[in-house]
Amino acid sequence: MHKYELIFILQADLDEAALDAAVENIETLIKNNQGEIAKTDRWGKRKLAYPIRKMNEGYYVLVEFDYEPEAVAALKRTMGFNEHILRYSVIRID
Amino acid sequence: MTENRPTDRGDRSNRDDRRERGGSRNRRFVSRPKFCQFCSDKKLVIDYKNVELLSRLVNETGKIRPRRQTGTCAKHQREVATAIKNARHIALLPFEGDYWADNN
Repeated sequence: MHKYELIFILQADLDEAALDAAVENIETLIKNNQGEIAKTDRWGKRKLAYPIRKMNEGYYVLVEFDYEPEAVAALKRTMGFNEHILRYSVIRID
Repeated sequence: MTENRPTDRGDRSNRDDRRERGGSRNRRFVSRPKFCQFCSDKKLVIDYKNVELLSRLVNETGKIRPRRQTGTCAKHQREVATAIKNARHIALLPFEGDYWADNN
């Protein structure tokens, strides 16, 4: 197990419920793969430094968690399939 | 600490060379930070999420500022570079220029 930090940017034009659902979706995904979430920090709406998919704003979410290195690739792949996620980044922090 | 010597490798831009040929009396000294801010302040952590800190380490075109300007030591400059690149990827820092200065 290693400590990871996941940041992802959701479309800011989604409504509260859809945002919550998307965040929970990622959280359960991590938990289902024997991951342990240390904290979830929602930064909320933020202006992007440059437009992504012609969108100027994004909803930033930061998740710190423990995870098996082998499972990270699969997590990234699933995130890539989610069309509401503009960008994500998984960084090892230990 | 090599990075504190006034004749640091990075110092010599072409302009400086020309000036040197003209004689040392013409040479102007540009004051630069003498200490690496990350070495002297251990509490200052290089983190790609710290936009406020990193934005001071890039110039207005979005490029990473060289060590000779910021005084950062080689070790920490490497960390800074990685942090800036990570921050760019998640749109916390621009890749080039300030997008919002030109559009809107």
